[in-house]
Amino acid sequence: MSDRGKANKLMSLQEAVSTYIKDGCSITFGGFIGRDCLAAVHEIIRQGIKDLVVIDDSKTDVMDLLVGAGCVGRWEGAYLGYGSIGLANNVRRAVEQGIPRPIDLEDWSNAAVSMRFLAGGLNLPFMATRSMLGSDIIKYNSRIKVMEDPYNGTPVALVPAARPDVAVIHVQRADAMGNAQVFGFTGNDGNKARAAKHTIITCEEIIPTEEVRRGGNLTLIPFYCVDAVVHVPYGCYPQSCYGYYAYDVLFCGEYHEMSKTREGFLKWLDRYVYGCRDHLEYCSRVGWDRLKSLTYLERQFNRV
Amino acid sequence: MHGSAEFVKGKNYTASELMAITTCKEFRDWEVAFVGIGIPLVAGILAKRLHAPNLSIVYESGSIGPEKFRVDFNVGDSSAADGALCLTSEWRVFGDLQGGYYDIGVLGGAQIDRYGNLNTTAIFGGGDYRRPKVRLPGSGGGNDIGSSVGRVVIMMRLEKHRFVPRVDYITTPGYLDGSPGARERAGLLGGGPVAVVTSKGVFRFHPETREMYLHTIYPGVEAEEIRQSVGWDLKIAGDLQVAPDPSEAELAALRAADPANLILGGAGARERLSGLDEFVELTLKHAKR
Repeated sequence: MSDRGKANKLMSLQEAVSTYIKDGCSITFGGFIGRDCLAAVHEIIRQGIKDLVVIDDSKTDVMDLLVGAGCVGRWEGAYLGYGSIGLANNVRRAVEQGIPRPIDLEDWSNAAVSMRFLAGGLNLPFMATRSMLGSDIIKYNSRIKVMEDPYNGTPVALVPAARPDVAVIHVQRADAMGNAQVFGFTGNDGNKARAAKHTIITCEEIIPTEEVRRGGNLTLIPFYCVDAVVHVPYGCYPQSCYGYYAYDVLFCGEYHEMSKTREGFLKWLDRYVYGCRDHLEYCSRVGWDRLKSLTYLERQFNRV
Repeated sequence: MHGSAEFVKGKNYTASELMAITTCKEFRDWEVAFVGIGIPLVAGILAKRLHAPNLSIVYESGSIGPEKFRVDFNVGDSSAADGALCLTSEWRVFGDLQGGYYDIGVLGGAQIDRYGNLNTTAIFGGGDYRRPKVRLPGSGGGNDIGSSVGRVVIMMRLEKHRFVPRVDYITTPGYLDGSPGARERAGLLGGGPVAVVTSKGVFRFHPETREMYLHTIYPGVEAEEIRQSVGWDLKIAGDLQVAPDPSEAELAALRAADPANLILGGAGARERLSGLDEFVELTLKHAKR
């Protein structure tokens, strides 16, 4: 924790990942199938980190890639699909066939996961919700406790606080201290950063602290929650980043086709992850013209 | 749920299009709607462009009341925030859902039973929860919507393996075992499902028995054909309705809402696009601003 007071937390993505993300650690990722941490995920895969316990709400590419690359041992969360395109092929292979390795799944609902991170962020042991009552989510998840509320006697479901070792969160703007500003909706990111023991912020732009002060209400995550700040433009691609670039549905469609077979997925991984030294090389491989088109499209609707 | 580009036999529309248009009529003007992505979302956008311009759509990512200039492919796409009335957090909108602010929710699913219980978690097949035949995405926000929203509309293609006596896993509660007061006893706040919009017709729920029955059939469909596609002894309304064919205006509005046909048309439609430039061009051309 001694690093937390530092005025300058800027570091490379390689350094941030190797410093804070270890084999077997528990981790959560910011974004909500939009503003996802794809650059960080690629780096985790390149570093060969194993046995991650991912605690999260809803994920598409982030989890499908990590599971397919064999980085995940356990998932506690609500949604593992591929959006309107289909099911998550690597997740299916891991759960149904144990390829490339079996993963342990624990199902929750999105509201339940939200309450778990709220409890974590508030430093409370649990939170109550009226979701999941009467469903089989409770039947198969012994950590959800249904009790009568002690005041009125109605049933509520209790969910334990989530306190992951690490949160990785991509934002639009941050300063070197780690004040992280988010434009657009915020998912559970404010609570994830507060609940995690360490938080890595990746961002589209680094801004001076004076600029943060001009719009302090945009700061979702204050510096004291943050351990590392990494400048990664297009760090969400192929997912969207509000005000910066739109979702690339065609690239994701192609990924979905490729990942239908293990061989196809491995080829994709070689081309876009192992075959790229860093995120800049990935962007070059995708093509800067393509990225610029997505920025052009997004800026017809949303500007930061 | 995912689209298909094939026209219904002898018609100028696909089953996905008819489902979207039928579902869109379930939304009322000035309502607040919590919808899932895919065809449910397209139905919400269509309602805004037709009879319910003041409908507010809420996304679990934390967007309340966006303008619908563009179709979204994920709940967290930046497009979900376009011109929103309020951009907030996920836990906050789930709190508002639990607080009773949201009138209607629209969900898809892989399996449903006669009481409207929905499975989006796993098809067990010969296996079980830990090692199922098909692992599905899980609840996402589906369980939360089904638990707490005012009323639920479900969209599913009518196939016998989907309409089953018992779902393998209740992800989202309908009327549970169908007994009187089952939802209230469990502690659920929302009203439960009111309609199941399928590729052949619309089911609704009997007010006392809570059992799903056939309420409306689409033009050219026989009730018997539907009975054969359901895994229990399906009851049929005495005054069974026949839905009209969608109008040209409805079809045009729908196709403009998903201009590259990527939601309603699925993988085939992606292959027909020449590339990203064409997608960008179509999106901008049809953005209703």
